[in-house]
Amino acid sequence: MIVLEYLLLFFLVMSAIMAVIFDEELISIIFLSIFSIILTAIYLIYRAADVALAEAVIGAGLNTAIFMSAISQIRKGKS
Amino acid sequence: MKQKLQHIIVIIILTISGAAVFFNLKVMTIYKDIPGGISRYIISFGLQDTGSLNLVTAILYDYRAFDSMGESTVIFGAVSGIVLILSRKMLPVSSKGLSFIVKRTLGIMTPFIALFSIYVITHGHLTPGGGFQGGVILAAISIIFSIVYGSAFDYKRYSPQMKTVMETTGALMFISIGVLGVFFEGFFLDNLNFLGGKPGTLLSAGSIPIINLGIGLKVGAGLAIIFYSMIQKTFREEL
Repeated sequence: MIVLEYLLLFFLVMSAIMAVIFDEELISIIFLSIFSIILTAIYLIYRAADVALAEAVIGAGLNTAIFMSAISQIRKGKS
Repeated sequence: MKQKLQHIIVIIILTISGAAVFFNLKVMTIYKDIPGGISRYIISFGLQDTGSLNLVTAILYDYRAFDSMGESTVIFGAVSGIVLILSRKMLPVSSKGLSFIVKRTLGIMTPFIALFSIYVITHGHLTPGGGFQGGVILAAISIIFSIVYGSAFDYKRYSPQMKTVMETTGALMFISIGVLGVFFEGFFLDNLNFLGGKPGTLLSAGSIPIINLGIGLKVGAGLAIIFYSMIQKTFREEL
């Protein structure tokens, strides 16, 4: 179990770095969504089911949709 | 004359509520000398006090219910600000939506998502979850409608006026449970213990399921309004 925990933490940090590095906004949003899903698994390992449910619903579902609509508005303004 | 009457009524209400706050704060000091701190007390006596198996919900909607009321006020303020800035008119503006396969697949899946959200809201005092998480899943249904079927479909099924009514109903349920607590138990937002059944059944834990339902309605409708007002402006500029 401890190996899985360290592996997930490593992927968490990697996905956060990936989200910062890329210039394209769409790829950053997808990596933020992956970050939320890995964070949900880590919360489940630490037995915080309440926080895991909130993180899965808000981080992976709602944030992605709202960021997508905001990004589409910004692109309309540029062109 | 009318204004003078208004002033007198306001002064009376402020005096009564100030006295209520003062006496509540005076009584609160009995929590000071507990061996092992407040967390030890909640873990040992939480089930006995509230009748809720899920201790996180017991803290959120019973011990620290005033805090949750502040959070829901913050959500209300955010919704008001975003609607004021982003959406000038509540018009049905349509996009085409996605392909036929996606529409059929999500048509089968959406009732189960709604069922899961209602399960999370109503079983908030028994299993992990609660009003906030279930409400966000409820808002996800509205987001699916506006992305997959086009926002005119979302406008026809759940119009923004109906969402406003739902949000106000949720907030009024929370506040009225708090005021009932003053009359029956003596404190604002105290748990109504005479409603409680056997711990572990669906209708137990006093007023916690009712507060869960109110918070779920409020959060779901509020986040749906935020998403609807954002996507509406996007598609109006496109047309």
